[in-house]
Amino acid sequence: MAGIALKNLVKSFGTYAAVNGINLDIRDGEFLIMVGPSGCGKTTTLNMISGLETPTSGEIIIGGRVVNDLEPGARGLGMVFQDLALFPHMTVFENIAFGLRVRKVPAAEIARRVAAAAETMHIKPLLTKLPKQCSGGESQRVALARTIVTDPAVFLLDEPLSSLDAKLRVDMRTELKRLHERLKATFIYVTHDQAEAMTMADRIVVMSKGTIEQLGTPLEIYNHPSTQFVAGFFGTPTMNFVEGVVEICAAGARFRGAGLEQALPASVGVKLCERNVVLGVRSEHVIIGGAAASAAGTARLLQPLGDATLVHFDTGEGKSLVAKVAPNTELAPGLPLRFHFAPEHCHLFEATSGRRQS
Amino acid sequence: MAAEAARKRKLRRRRLLRAGRHAILLGWTCVIIFPVFWMISTSFKDAGEWVTWPPHWLPHQPTLLNYAQIFAFGTLDPTLSRQATEQAFTIWKGLGDATLVCTTASLLALLLGTFLAYAISRFSVGGKYFRHTILMIRMIPPIVVAISILIYYAIIIPYATTALLGVRISMFDTYVGLVLIYTVTTLPFVIWMMLSFIDEVPYTLEHAARLMGAGRIEVIRRIVLPLVASGMVVTFLFVFILNWAEFLLALTLTHPQVTTLTVLLNKFQSASEGRLYGPQAAIGTVVTIPVVVLGLLIQKHLVKGFSFGTIRK
Repeated sequence: MAGIALKNLVKSFGTYAAVNGINLDIRDGEFLIMVGPSGCGKTTTLNMISGLETPTSGEIIIGGRVVNDLEPGARGLGMVFQDLALFPHMTVFENIAFGLRVRKVPAAEIARRVAAAAETMHIKPLLTKLPKQCSGGESQRVALARTIVTDPAVFLLDEPLSSLDAKLRVDMRTELKRLHERLKATFIYVTHDQAEAMTMADRIVVMSKGTIEQLGTPLEIYNHPSTQFVAGFFGTPTMNFVEGVVEICAAGARFRGAGLEQALPASVGVKLCERNVVLGVRSEHVIIGGAAASAAGTARLLQPLGDATLVHFDTGEGKSLVAKVAPNTELAPGLPLRFHFAPEHCHLFEATSGRRQS
Repeated sequence: MAAEAARKRKLRRRRLLRAGRHAILLGWTCVIIFPVFWMISTSFKDAGEWVTWPPHWLPHQPTLLNYAQIFAFGTLDPTLSRQATEQAFTIWKGLGDATLVCTTASLLALLLGTFLAYAISRFSVGGKYFRHTILMIRMIPPIVVAISILIYYAIIIPYATTALLGVRISMFDTYVGLVLIYTVTTLPFVIWMMLSFIDEVPYTLEHAARLMGAGRIEVIRRIVLPLVASGMVVTFLFVFILNWAEFLLALTLTHPQVTTLTVLLNKFQSASEGRLYGPQAAIGTVVTIPVVVLGLLIQKHLVKGFSFGTIRK
């Protein structure tokens, strides 16, 4: 069992810093997901932990030991790759046994442990097949079996589900989560899919441009995004953003911008007065109709999701917003509507830095 | 009606064009095939029929005498050796030398080239354009190198070793000398071909193996080499044929100890009778057979080798 610590980790390729000073403590047995757009440095970070990439500076500590100079195979890690990296010239059995064979484990023990791993991943009938004879989901299980057979304390998973179709991907999420609970090992999982991160993680690390934007539980990140970037990255559809100014009047703080006037929660202090901000609100917190509806707009497009309907509408000044409403809405494209934002769910970000202000 | 006629005219023209194209290709095939046919035909002719006018397209009295002569063991039966033949021109020495030199050189080039290609593919040894530079080396005409190598082999190396070590070591007319030069001249081909195969092996396979505890050598042995094995076979055959057919360097750098087949072919000259076309044609025929067989083998392996991109990603 092993916790992992990253200390001021930097990786530069020439003048380009792919990872720019990361500090992170990963707890023993945690399911940590690194998420961010392409090129944010999440895979580079994972590769440095695995030893496939050498850090430019900084330290990687696994189980209390600095492993910077340790060969990948000597770090006690298991890794599942984005392309799975099954050896095409070996049977599934040999693929799973590979890690044991290079460790010179006796043949009888290999047979026993491969069988156990195959049992866990439900792939016993595949053992004599070649990887190319396996379906996408089966290959995925083989890759996982190959990793669990050596019993690593830390699992590194680099977008392992990206090659699967949508349905299988959702099923595999549950399976991975179960596997994590069974093995009680540390899982570090890299993905660009925020939904994957939300559903599986104990904690999420949101990365952007080689640095950590936010570290927290899925709900912390969803409900209290620390930057505009994080707020925009999580949630479907993307959070609505409106630029404007905070004004303080007798009734409390108010936001004014893009033709809207919106009450803000009481917690918004005087220090924000007259500051340029970006107001962020999720589609489910845009309320259409009702007594408090203070602004006018025109519905443009309706997207029924089944359990809800997304209404894309324009404000009076041409700003485009999205609201999530009940599926039985009577709205139709072209019809006028009135709306407001739920004040307690409005997020304020500084206009220039994107930092959270409330 | 007019349109119909135009369509017919067009069709007729297309048919004529196709017939013309086939005629040209057939004619060209004859030009290419004729020397081979003539060689095989001559190999079954007795001395009297080698040069006749009008030519005998096929031997009037087919004989295996030429083959008997080239395949003879030990000293020749005087009836076989023909009075004109002053020397015993058997194939054995040439065949043995050529097989030894070509196999050794091809294997050596394959071994070196595979590891070099691995280094170039994985670690970008020599920079971005190195792979092209390597191929460029092959564009130098062999004759340019042949003379300078001859000077090295026959003069500079013996002189230097005598002066420095007190032993005269000559590379001229030795197996080692010829194997070395064949290895060097075919190495660019091996590197170039193996690069295309090794580039096809995904990095992540090696990464996965290394994370499972395999060292670099073990990764190459267990993952990379098995995956490029068919590529290595293709490359070996290709290079072997190149060496098998090489003439200029062998002619320049050997005599009389080491004799490859191509050099042997050039020796069929007798004082009294001129060129000995019969045995020469017989050897030519025999020598071509392995090349043709290997060529067919390559064809089979090429399909496997070049459909290599099917590794599942």
